[in-house]
Amino acid sequence: MYRYDTIDKEFVADRAAEFREQVQRRLAGEITEDQFKPIRLMNGLYLQLHAYMLRIAIPYGALTSKKLRKLAYVAQTYDKGYGHFTTRTNLQLHWIKLKDAPAILDHLAEVEMHAMQTSGNCIRNVTADPYAGATADELDDPRVWAETVRQWSTLHPEFSFLPRKFKIAVTAAAKDRTATKIYDIGLHLRRGRGGELGFEVLVGGGLGRTPHIGSTIREFLPTRHLLSYMEAILRVYNRHGRRDNIFKARIKILVASLGAEEFARQVEEEWAKGDPARIDLPDTELARIRAAFAQTYDTLPARSEALEAAKAADPAFARFVRRNVHPHKQPGYALVDVSLKVPGQTPGDMTSEQMELVAGLAERYSLDEVRVTYQQNLLLPHVKLDDVETVWRELDAAGLATPNIDLITDIIACPGLDYCALANARAIPIAQHIAERFAEPERAEAVGELNIKISGCINACGHHHVGHIGILGVDKKGEEFYQLTLGGTADDNAALGSMLGPALPAAKVAEAVEQMVEVYLRERQDGERFVDTFRRTGVAPFKEAVYADAH
Amino acid sequence: MRALTANRLDDGEAVFWKGGRWVERFVEAQLFEGSEDAENAEAAAKSQQTVVVDPYLIDVIPAGDVWAPLSYRERVRCLGPTNHPMHGKQAEGGHDIDALVHAEGAARSTGRVNLIKRK
Repeated sequence: MYRYDTIDKEFVADRAAEFREQVQRRLAGEITEDQFKPIRLMNGLYLQLHAYMLRIAIPYGALTSKKLRKLAYVAQTYDKGYGHFTTRTNLQLHWIKLKDAPAILDHLAEVEMHAMQTSGNCIRNVTADPYAGATADELDDPRVWAETVRQWSTLHPEFSFLPRKFKIAVTAAAKDRTATKIYDIGLHLRRGRGGELGFEVLVGGGLGRTPHIGSTIREFLPTRHLLSYMEAILRVYNRHGRRDNIFKARIKILVASLGAEEFARQVEEEWAKGDPARIDLPDTELARIRAAFAQTYDTLPARSEALEAAKAADPAFARFVRRNVHPHKQPGYALVDVSLKVPGQTPGDMTSEQMELVAGLAERYSLDEVRVTYQQNLLLPHVKLDDVETVWRELDAAGLATPNIDLITDIIACPGLDYCALANARAIPIAQHIAERFAEPERAEAVGELNIKISGCINACGHHHVGHIGILGVDKKGEEFYQLTLGGTADDNAALGSMLGPALPAAKVAEAVEQMVEVYLRERQDGERFVDTFRRTGVAPFKEAVYADAH
Repeated sequence: MRALTANRLDDGEAVFWKGGRWVERFVEAQLFEGSEDAENAEAAAKSQQTVVVDPYLIDVIPAGDVWAPLSYRERVRCLGPTNHPMHGKQAEGGHDIDALVHAEGAARSTGRVNLIKRK
């Protein structure tokens, strides 16, 4: 795990001290709300329906037990004892008082955390594959490159006032677990013909009001040139992005209007003008960053007799292993998903007690590492196969072992109108109602992989455009209604969903999902997932099932 | 009928105007029949920069024997999040809270008066 150097420590401490003074000046009336608002947003502090909300950055979703314990402490001391993990792998605390915010930032700084660049028109918290460093299917550890981007983009003076917010995701694996194609910049590590590592660079992905899947503007960028090429992209965007219209200000609109080819040409031209050596990291610095992520493992047999015996003895544990335990690159180890999706509960919410428990498990059983996934779950990345049963028992006792990863109850939902000042409709109760219908683990497993993603407004924090079933809350003549889309995916073959039909009232959504699942179970062939069946049959049978009684 | 609401500066709590001061429970909010009184109160509230953030008027409608904000969003502000019934103002309970929970006829996004500012 990367540790802050002196520069990191100093600027985070300085920023916390600066914000303390700014809050005091605001409370004393020395600065107005109009002056203060951009300052608090630069520190991740929003004003929402019931209180302030603090969005804490978790760079590339990586936590240690110490950091997770600190989050538990902050949530317990300054909030109502829980937090909400988001699709950007950040943690949101929804009951924060402005007067407490400086003390919270001091606490976070103690464990090398902050809330900078979780808001505003800057380069936001960078995300990466949650399996980083633990999976056999990666070419390199993406955290090395995500950390490089973090250092470069943090408080970058040239890119602190972009036309609009800017999000970067990195993956080094064949399977995209980071939704890179819906990012402003998505970086896919590839191996070139000569064996050299480089990035396929995608630009202009994004959801919101005008969803786009990212376009490849460079098939292969040698890794050593990552920062200079990113600078060129940001410069073209900074120069030509639409500052006059907030709805057209994201880079996706610029790329779409210029065309990916022309945008790429301008980036190459900009890149050629610069001196890459001025900005690209020297090998010594890359080696320093890389060394921070090195892990040492015990030499173990690939098969654990204890694990196999426990699976044979307990079907519930066997199901957990099927759904939540994944192969590790190191023999004798596994990645273990911690589900924050108990049917009937709030997706992504975690209590301070649960955070404490997972921190303890990480310390004892996962080489002190925890990851946050964009699906709003946690992950213990380095658990010995022999320890999986013990970890499961402890997770299960704390309500964290729902065996539902990627199943119909593993629903992404934004906070929606229950908390968010931007929302048009609630998202959480819709997720709860759907999950309750499929709460029986046998039933959820029989349905198989099915990603439901719910947003309470068009800003799409809940990624509804790329859900196998996407659900968007809208305000229709004064009532909460929900538009359903089908066939979206956020993986390697990312695609935007297409509309099912007219929006449904809140009370009809869970029933509609159940009707569509019945159609799928009737129509599916040869182990097809829901989304595969939908793509083969088209929308007609699903539409018929949901809207039949309206005919 | 209208009420005047804002979020309190130091803790973000949703609050309601009552004769020059701010109360936390909607049932205690001052209601304005005429637009002049409401707008005068709004202007006075806007000068309280160290007390509240972004004061604005909302429409209210009868809901049984109490008044309720017209918009569902404002009702959520008066109650708390629906996924955590023990969080927010709803945790205190009482007849007024029950009435708001069960109030019908919400128009969800139009409760804020003058939200769209025309030049």
